[in-house]
Amino acid sequence: MKSSTSRRALQTTAVGLTLFLAACNRQPAAQKSDAGPSASPTTVGTSGQIAHTVSPAEASTTSATSTERDPDAIKALERMGDYLRTLKSFQIRSVTSRDEVLDDGQNVEFDGIVDMIVERPNRLRAEVTSDKQQRIYFYNGSSLSIFAPRVNYFATLPAPPTIRELADTLTSKYDIELPLVDLFYWSDRKSTDDIVSATDLGASQVDGVTCQHYAFRQEGADWQVWIQLGDYPLPRKLVIRTTTDEARPRFASVMTWNLAPSFNAAAFTFVPPADAHKIAMAQVPGFAERGAGH
Amino acid sequence: MKRSIARQIFDSVFAVGVAFALAGAGIHAQRGAARSSVSRGASVNRSASVDRSASVNRSASVDRSANVNRSASVDRSANINSNVNVNRNVNVDRDVDVNVDRRYGGSGYGCCYNPVGRAAVATAAAVTTAAVVGSMVHSLPPSCQAVSVNGYTYQQCGSTWYQPQFQGSSVTYVVINPPR
Repeated sequence: MKSSTSRRALQTTAVGLTLFLAACNRQPAAQKSDAGPSASPTTVGTSGQIAHTVSPAEASTTSATSTERDPDAIKALERMGDYLRTLKSFQIRSVTSRDEVLDDGQNVEFDGIVDMIVERPNRLRAEVTSDKQQRIYFYNGSSLSIFAPRVNYFATLPAPPTIRELADTLTSKYDIELPLVDLFYWSDRKSTDDIVSATDLGASQVDGVTCQHYAFRQEGADWQVWIQLGDYPLPRKLVIRTTTDEARPRFASVMTWNLAPSFNAAAFTFVPPADAHKIAMAQVPGFAERGAGH
Repeated sequence: MKRSIARQIFDSVFAVGVAFALAGAGIHAQRGAARSSVSRGASVNRSASVDRSASVNRSASVDRSANVNRSASVDRSANINSNVNVNRNVNVDRDVDVNVDRRYGGSGYGCCYNPVGRAAVATAAAVTTAAVVGSMVHSLPPSCQAVSVNGYTYQQCGSTWYQPQFQGSSVTYVVINPPR
């Protein structure tokens, strides 16, 4: 009984969608075949979805060539990056969870909090706290310090002049990823080339804020981002599923933004406590040999 | 009969694990972690090592499917993993990631693929035959003393010297010759 009603609902939706598409594009024969695959996600998403997917005329051409790379979803991602680039300073609190994969393939989740203050282009302070470790990163445009309060160790390194370059250096030379590093890459260049599939999943609430929910696929990762609707297209939530491990571990971050943070310059320079221990910073093996210098 | 062999295997692995834990080190029974970014620049290094661990994972799953035939041992392997977790808890300072043969480029928080058995055996051997210079552990034996040499902190544990370092975002300790 239930299945028959839901099937009827599906049929009605499909028919409605087909009629709508036909009315829009005046190509009933060609559109009828497209309505099939696009009808099923519509029943999953919200009703607002119908108007959204139908509007562009290129819907028919994209489905023929690149499988499901919704140009609107790509555009939304680029618009978010453009907007992020305009932010001179911001503060983020991210509630983060990250799966680790045990040897038998079981995912276990570790939760944490990231508190970050950023002043473009060359100041950043990030405190990362989880059950397993606590790290505070200080970057003032000339040096980077990492402080581990629980073990009272710190290291200080000379650093490149911008956050983006810092992110590159930390990754390639020291195997450290700045928290929420995508924010800096998204805002600094178009990183949509890797995306092979892009889908608009409709409106969604994140912490009471109305967002548009997008899903993307690229080599090694399926990911989703919730972008705030309106004039402030901020990423409010990010979920990444790693697809290179059969366990498909998940990373998730829910972000709270403050676009008018108050801070002083001292916040970005580490002053070691008297009893803190300075230790070395290991480089990625073979980094020097690869010709990157000291 | 089958059961007792499996039990023996389990016990021996457990014993190694306990010895390992008592020696002040731990095992991180972790083969990987979720990547925490999708941008290309951020994940260049990682994707390489992820691929590597992925291929290792595949061989691991072959082992598992072999165990499935003896259904009893499936549960045991689960037990082994939980023992490993106990080892991790044994670390007084949880602010460590225990990967003896850590692969670079694994993740932001520091972690990576680490075959339990191999790591346990390798490290247990290292522990019994004193620490080899250049070897690395993720936590120190008990009663060490921090000594500052040329501004850097070293840890002297009996006759063995360790240099603490950030490796990725993890803290590891490399066995070194006395620094002075």
